[in-house]
Amino acid sequence: MTSPIHDSPVVLPEENAPSKRNDKERRLTISGVIAWIVALIFFAPIFWIFLAALKTDNTILAYPPKFIFTPTLENFAALITKPNVGLYFFNSVFLSVGSVAIAIVVSYLAAYSFSRFKPAGTDFLMFLLLSTRFVPAAAFVIPFFQLFGILNFKDSYVGLLIFYVMFSVPFSVWILKGFIDGVSQRFDETGLVNGASRAHVIFKVVLPQVKPGLVAAFVFNIIFVWNEFLFNFQLGGRNTSTIPVALFTSLYDGGATNWPYVASLGTAYVLPLAILIFFFQKYLLVGMTFGTVRGEV
Amino acid sequence: MADVRIEGISKYFGDFGAVKEVSTVFEEGTVTVLLGPSGCGKTTLMRMIVGLETPTTGSVMIGDTDVTRVPTNKRQIGMVFQYPVIYRGTTVARNLELPLIAAKMDSSARKKRIDEMAEIIGLTDVLETNVDRLDNAGRQKVAVAREVARQPEVLLFDEPITNVDLTSKLELKRSLKQLFTELRQTIIYVTHDQTEAMSLADKIALMNTGRIVQLDAPRVVYDRPDDVFAGWFLGSPGMNFLRTGFVVEGSSLHSPLLASPISVGAEAQHATTMGIRPEQLTASLEEQPDHVRAEIVDKAITIGGRMLLGVKVQDLEIKAVVEHDIGKNASSSIWIKLPRENLHLFDAHDRKIEAGLQSVG
Repeated sequence: MTSPIHDSPVVLPEENAPSKRNDKERRLTISGVIAWIVALIFFAPIFWIFLAALKTDNTILAYPPKFIFTPTLENFAALITKPNVGLYFFNSVFLSVGSVAIAIVVSYLAAYSFSRFKPAGTDFLMFLLLSTRFVPAAAFVIPFFQLFGILNFKDSYVGLLIFYVMFSVPFSVWILKGFIDGVSQRFDETGLVNGASRAHVIFKVVLPQVKPGLVAAFVFNIIFVWNEFLFNFQLGGRNTSTIPVALFTSLYDGGATNWPYVASLGTAYVLPLAILIFFFQKYLLVGMTFGTVRGEV
Repeated sequence: MADVRIEGISKYFGDFGAVKEVSTVFEEGTVTVLLGPSGCGKTTLMRMIVGLETPTTGSVMIGDTDVTRVPTNKRQIGMVFQYPVIYRGTTVARNLELPLIAAKMDSSARKKRIDEMAEIIGLTDVLETNVDRLDNAGRQKVAVAREVARQPEVLLFDEPITNVDLTSKLELKRSLKQLFTELRQTIIYVTHDQTEAMSLADKIALMNTGRIVQLDAPRVVYDRPDDVFAGWFLGSPGMNFLRTGFVVEGSSLHSPLLASPISVGAEAQHATTMGIRPEQLTASLEEQPDHVRAEIVDKAITIGGRMLLGVKVQDLEIKAVVEHDIGKNASSSIWIKLPRENLHLFDAHDRKIEAGLQSVG
């Protein structure tokens, strides 16, 4: 008599594996191709700007577009000699790096307090903090315009720094609280028992353990502030314009769009951020998930 | 080195009293183990001593200083937590050194202290090893050595070997025992594991529902439990308790479990519970004087080569731990005797009644 085990159909994994593997490979190839197509579509405008920056004025708008041409750095040379371009760059770098740096210090301390001391209503406060970012920015433009007028903050670095710090704090607190929650309170307590001050615990014991969170918060907010247009346009001015605003306000030159200027400034604007993102892309996921998905960081 | 005195200390989280009106003294140079089930308040009590929790009422004194309002970092206490807290990414020696640098000790003295500590706790071979490469037991040793090296007035341990795997547990326990013996420090050690408590403690402070129910030498807590809880919590399995099946008439105690009545003091009148440890009754395969016949209702192997039986006399069922030979060869019944000196009586509040039982024999 045969045992029921022998009667039942046996699936040998070895026999089945190759076709399964082929299926899987095919699926991967197809999704790879789709990903490339999507990426190229999204990348096309940036590619166009890059190419345009290397073309002469009359080849930029040529139809059909020229893909084979003699590249020139003339546009960049012209860009440097343009008045104010240096100032726009300085403003962009200073406002984004400065405000995000301040925001991170403030957020780290706030996140530490929320995580460790859990003041009454922590959850609500955390929600409130984030809710400022739920509201469409356009809704804030008029109140801020008036507020900045009253405070005499218009076209001032202090005013814009404060605004961008406020802009960067919510996400940073969320990201950093997630990270600090992940550091056991026993570290703080051991530090205190060992005779360290609270400040020592905050900066020497906990901070080194949440470095990836600090980087994530920094990268994530730099992107926001670097790309911010609306409020710089409304609250800034001649002295504090950043590159996005400059791209818009100095678009016209001599009655027509100055394409070489737009293309070269646009390229110079995109490049630093593109490089930053290339090196720190893994931290972006952390930022977008408020530190709940940490992957390899 | 100093003693720790706590006076009327309580901690309430909302309505929940984690620690209720505890007053006690942890003597200088003594290892006191705070023992109790999970949630009995032992960790909260310890955290109040170190200053990580603020007491709702009461005070903490270390030596002659009232430290109730002194911040943790000024209290001169060392503490080892359940999970090893170490400075990652650096060597064992560096871990031990950091607090000493903070304490502004000069480098030759630091070196000497670190070597001494490593020697006592068995870290000499790994001093230059990165702590990340040690297992949990090794890391916990580092945490212990770091706290001890600072030479605080008092050392606290919060279940330090709970999260160490079984094989390393014994070794770590042995290291701690040796350390405690050599240090003669004031040590307060929290655990829920009675074998750990029995082997490490000079004194056991048994806690239940926020109070210390008994503070005595381990053997005393085991042999003379002050209340039903102490009898039940210590021992594996815990004490047998009989709410019925015995009567006190005048100065004698009658029970079907006893071959003949035994004499007791007058206080025994108030007894509502009789207790006997399963391992403290005597058993025999053959009829013996003063023994009663007990029917075997359940058999199970216990550790240590002895056997745990469930036995029944009339309708009174108790647990009995007997020699393995007796357990194995017994068919349906054995003969048991409850020695007078091992009997315990408790009143309606579950507190011990002396009744002169333990004084004889």
